[in-house]
Amino acid sequence: MSTGNLSRLDPEEVARAVTDFINATIMARTRPVRPDDDLELAGLDSMALLKVLLFIEAHYGFWMPDEDLVTDNIRTARAFAAYICRRSA
Amino acid sequence: MSTQRVRRLPLRGADLVLVAMQALWKREGVSNNTLMAVQCDGPLDPARIRRALHCLLDYCPWPAARLRRRLPWGQLHWAAGPRAALATPPIRHKRLGPLEALHAELEAELNLAIDPRREPPLRVAILDSASDAAGPQSTIVVTWFHPLMDPRGGQNLLAHLSHLDEADGRAPWGDSPPVFVTEPDPRPLKERGRLGRSSQRYMRTLVPEAPVSPGTGLTAPGRVRFEQASFIGDDHGLGGVHSTREICWRLALVGRTMADLWRRRGLPDLRFLVPVSVDLRPKGEPGATFGNVLGFHFARFKPSETADVDRLALALRHQMTDALRDGQIDANAVAMEFLKYRPLSLMLRDLPGMATRETFSFNCADLGDFPPALEKLFGRRVVNAYHAPSVLPRPGIGVFFNRCGIKNNLVVSWIEGAMQIEEVKRIIEAIREGMGWRTAR
Repeated sequence: MSTGNLSRLDPEEVARAVTDFINATIMARTRPVRPDDDLELAGLDSMALLKVLLFIEAHYGFWMPDEDLVTDNIRTARAFAAYICRRSA
Repeated sequence: MSTQRVRRLPLRGADLVLVAMQALWKREGVSNNTLMAVQCDGPLDPARIRRALHCLLDYCPWPAARLRRRLPWGQLHWAAGPRAALATPPIRHKRLGPLEALHAELEAELNLAIDPRREPPLRVAILDSASDAAGPQSTIVVTWFHPLMDPRGGQNLLAHLSHLDEADGRAPWGDSPPVFVTEPDPRPLKERGRLGRSSQRYMRTLVPEAPVSPGTGLTAPGRVRFEQASFIGDDHGLGGVHSTREICWRLALVGRTMADLWRRRGLPDLRFLVPVSVDLRPKGEPGATFGNVLGFHFARFKPSETADVDRLALALRHQMTDALRDGQIDANAVAMEFLKYRPLSLMLRDLPGMATRETFSFNCADLGDFPPALEKLFGRRVVNAYHAPSVLPRPGIGVFFNRCGIKNNLVVSWIEGAMQIEEVKRIIEAIREGMGWRTAR
């Protein structure tokens, strides 16, 4: 994804992209997560969280600062997406 | 399943490192055992466990394998003959009396070193005990030669045995038996070679000087000891600046307690070097059982940097992020795979500090949640479960976290001579306080 049109990000599309990334690189093929699944309950650990943050950095052009890594922003793929869209608006 | 040929499972990755590190202490006869203790709420029937283990060998020979190397320069591997030649690993049943006797039995299990060249790489003990408060209990103790499997593998083994027990010994997996071992890395040799070399270069830059540990200078190591304590208390979840659930935060806290030990002993303010294991299994399903499915990140920080745990945890998180961004954790896993092409004596050459037989400053790991699917085992409810690995004389101490239900378990393993029991108790109390936990009844 280009980082040029961040102000027009579609939350649904971003949630789908984050979910796809998690399913492709972190989850077992037989246990995919959905956008509203609790990621910690699904088995994501510290290292997996960092992988998601690196994905966001690579695809949306910014690093989520430590103080923003609160439950409301990282509990689900959709929560990540909402944060990314807010941050990019 | 029947086969007449010898099956072979090459040792890979961290398994090879463990064998090579233990070989440094061959003359001292240091144990490379690790154990998993699972306490159940009533007496267990050893015959059921024996039957399940016997049945597992029909599908998976590795619990009955032997460690082999066909030529001095050949690959180390697990070798298992045809099914008819496989003997079920030993299962011991013992009535202990009071619960307090359990700990001595567990320490004896750790110290009775398994020689996987001559005996099965794992054994099982059923230890019955009783306490006024909890009534009769049984503890399943699975002890294995550490390079056979990692802690998650041990839990998977128990899950397979439980599954076979529930199915009364019949094949419970239908046409798709579980994955018992990891598939080899499918990437081309050239690409893996490039990654391996980049990891070698990276390892050489990790620390400018050999690390110091509580075991530094120890030439006549004593027995393996451990203390285990269970605590209750909520963790702060992933993310944020005070995430007590994250390994970086826990490592920072353990680092602070170690810095206190360093101060008391007058050890130099050299950088700690601590391996942080990374489970390479995909999340959401058990994954492989046998073989070590771990990559490693190497955390570095000075004792003098540990006063502010939150701040250090963030620094360690950034360090881990950089390693992940640069591909060093993946490269580390690949580099360790390449060790199989080297003689044992040369395997450790690339690890920092090896010239002086120093390895790491201390060990620290969070082994995660005991699988909720194992809340019942062989007809009994699981009350608690934890792992107690032996540590090598250098570093001489390891701190291990895990959770079982609402219990947070803390295990400190050490080598007599490297640590005193009072020092270990001080470390446990400091970690309990730092985590904000209270003692579980």
